[in-house]
Amino acid sequence: MKSARITRSPIDPARVLALVSDREAGGAVLFLGTIRRKSAGKTVEGLTYEVYRGMAERRMQEIEDRVRKKWPVVKIAMVHRYGPLKVGEVSVAVAVSCKHRAEAFEACRYAIDTIKGTLPMWKKERFRGGTQAWVKGAPIEA
Amino acid sequence: MTVLYFASAQGLTNLKSERMRLKEGSSVKDMAAEMLRMHPDLKDIEPTIRYSVNFEITEENAPLRDGDEVAVLPPVAGG
Repeated sequence: MKSARITRSPIDPARVLALVSDREAGGAVLFLGTIRRKSAGKTVEGLTYEVYRGMAERRMQEIEDRVRKKWPVVKIAMVHRYGPLKVGEVSVAVAVSCKHRAEAFEACRYAIDTIKGTLPMWKKERFRGGTQAWVKGAPIEA
Repeated sequence: MTVLYFASAQGLTNLKSERMRLKEGSSVKDMAAEMLRMHPDLKDIEPTIRYSVNFEITEENAPLRDGDEVAVLPPVAGG
């Protein structure tokens, strides 16, 4: 079963990890991105993620394809939330299982870095006091 | 074609999307020029914008066709 990679619902880390569980794997790495309380010295109350969904779904598949080309991945699961999130909540999860730990760590690191650079997603920070601002970001990578 | 605006581009145009009609043989560059003519507030962020056509990031000389979906993508910040 293919689970949604772009979702408005809360992410359950145990469920993401379970998606990569496999008897062929000797190790699994789970990365969670969470909403930080401070941003550039200001207190954040939450974030709102916006997504270009059609493109983001395609890009998630491309990231999986690229990861599988570079490392002997047994299973990989990636999910990114959109909509309003509160401080402390999980915004993104990446789980990778491989035969050996070194390639699992490397593949997971590559996947989250590529998610950050290539997904068409934007976040608006909501600060204490009610002001809001788009996070500056970087031009989307091809 | 349909043009989609995201994040700061959406805020500056007050539009999520719009229909645009361009001459036959127009490119992404021509579309961007027309967009700036209609929405001059985008001028400040235009150098940082990237464009996708039917979900693929494209060069500015890429040709456009009638049913294309073009997205105006300000710098991204996922994760």
